[in-house]
Amino acid sequence: MAVPEIFNTIEQTALSSWLRESTSVFGFYFILLFHTFGMALVVGASAVVDLRILGIASALPLKPLKRLFAIMWVGLALNVTSGLFLLTAYPTKALTNPDFYIKLSFIGLAVFTMRKMSIQVFGDASLDEVAMVAKGKMMAACSLAFWIGAVSAGRLLSETSKYVLYGHLWGS
Amino acid sequence: MNYAHLHLLLNHFPIIGTMVGLGLFLVSFLGKNSDLRRSSYIVFAAVALISIPAFLSGFGAQLMIKGPSVSDALLQRHQGSALLSLWFMEATGALALIGLWQSQRTSQPPHWNVTAVLLFSFLTVGLMARTGNTGGDIRHPEVRPGQTVTTADGTVTEGPIGSIIHDFEPNPEKFSEAVTFSKWWWTFMMILHFLGLIMIVGTVGLLDIRIMGFLKQLPIAPLHRFLPWAMAGLGVNILTGLLAFIGLPENYIYSGVFWLKMLSLLLLGLNAAMFYLAGIFEGVENLGPGEDAPISAKLIAASSLFLWFAVITLGRYIQPLGDTLRPGSN
Repeated sequence: MAVPEIFNTIEQTALSSWLRESTSVFGFYFILLFHTFGMALVVGASAVVDLRILGIASALPLKPLKRLFAIMWVGLALNVTSGLFLLTAYPTKALTNPDFYIKLSFIGLAVFTMRKMSIQVFGDASLDEVAMVAKGKMMAACSLAFWIGAVSAGRLLSETSKYVLYGHLWGS
Repeated sequence: MNYAHLHLLLNHFPIIGTMVGLGLFLVSFLGKNSDLRRSSYIVFAAVALISIPAFLSGFGAQLMIKGPSVSDALLQRHQGSALLSLWFMEATGALALIGLWQSQRTSQPPHWNVTAVLLFSFLTVGLMARTGNTGGDIRHPEVRPGQTVTTADGTVTEGPIGSIIHDFEPNPEKFSEAVTFSKWWWTFMMILHFLGLIMIVGTVGLLDIRIMGFLKQLPIAPLHRFLPWAMAGLGVNILTGLLAFIGLPENYIYSGVFWLKMLSLLLLGLNAAMFYLAGIFEGVENLGPGEDAPISAKLIAASSLFLWFAVITLGRYIQPLGDTLRPGSN
């Protein structure tokens, strides 16, 4: 399958080449740093809520954990933004790699679960803690699995990509 | 200051520290002194932490002095004994932390734990002594007994005890190759390193921001029950981090930000010691919903949060700033 010409166009833009080629510490690795911060926020906060629902630290009251969802959304927003910059730097590398779509699918599933939990478990004031746990158990287990999948697929990206840039295979 | 200085500065702590720890631990059996036993556990945990930079600086020192005037066989032997003693040291530290956690309520660690710490700390003291000896042999011919160590043909003759231990010591080059044999194994370690990071920042970070005064509806004691998850994350990251370093030491030792990351980890250890040993934890442990922590606790929590984010930041920059300390790079 031919690689779409649009990837080449993006790579030729000033922003894309600056992100790749700048030796400033505020270049590519700065964006990557914020991508890591965002991951720590969204996955860290989700993991704590998931573990609590699955029975860890069960003396911790569940309802106030609702406020952790704000941290998750901030982390997610940080990662969508930084992710778009990373994609601008290397569109061909990411978008020709099947693993990138696996990663996006895991994130999609995880965020869907996060929103569902936020509404159905934490958004329903009529539920007591026992009912919240009963309703949230499956979602918590899925959430953990989806985030582990997303992080793993993310770390695998650099090992599985075929192209570095448009028309440049790895090692050529 | 260079790596040889740093290594000489740090490398006596693991040897003397484990001896002090074992001494306190053994004395605690007389009269069943539980405070003394907890103190010995704290010493083991602290020495396990400081052993990490002591070990890492050895790689740098080795690269510095490698050359015709130094026996390669002696270097390899020291590296092998350092590797073996490090794993036993880290296991002792982990067992001590588990014992401290479990003795929170009962004031005594469980029997299995006391037995395991006794066994591991005893072996660690012996292995550390050998590591000190094999290290001393590199540069101090005056302490080499002629009949046990000969280096003329590049081989090392061990004494009776040395030859037994030597069979258990990994060959450093083979060990490094085993870590880097496959990019998939390497990626798997990095995935675990990231998941460990998430566990630490998720649990410790939440405790930190609660103590700092956010999310005040949460009582502190139950939040603190997540701590074993943070410690598990830390254990995974120390293991995967050390393996990555041993696999590709040249990627790390010339990186200024890597050493700053190690410094931040030591400062986190110091911060945790202040929190648990200076009575600050007792001051916040029983805070319920809506109750405010004292300013001292808030400062400790803020430095913990800052240092963990510093660790992430410095770790992220090891790759692009991997050469800042390489001789001749500037």
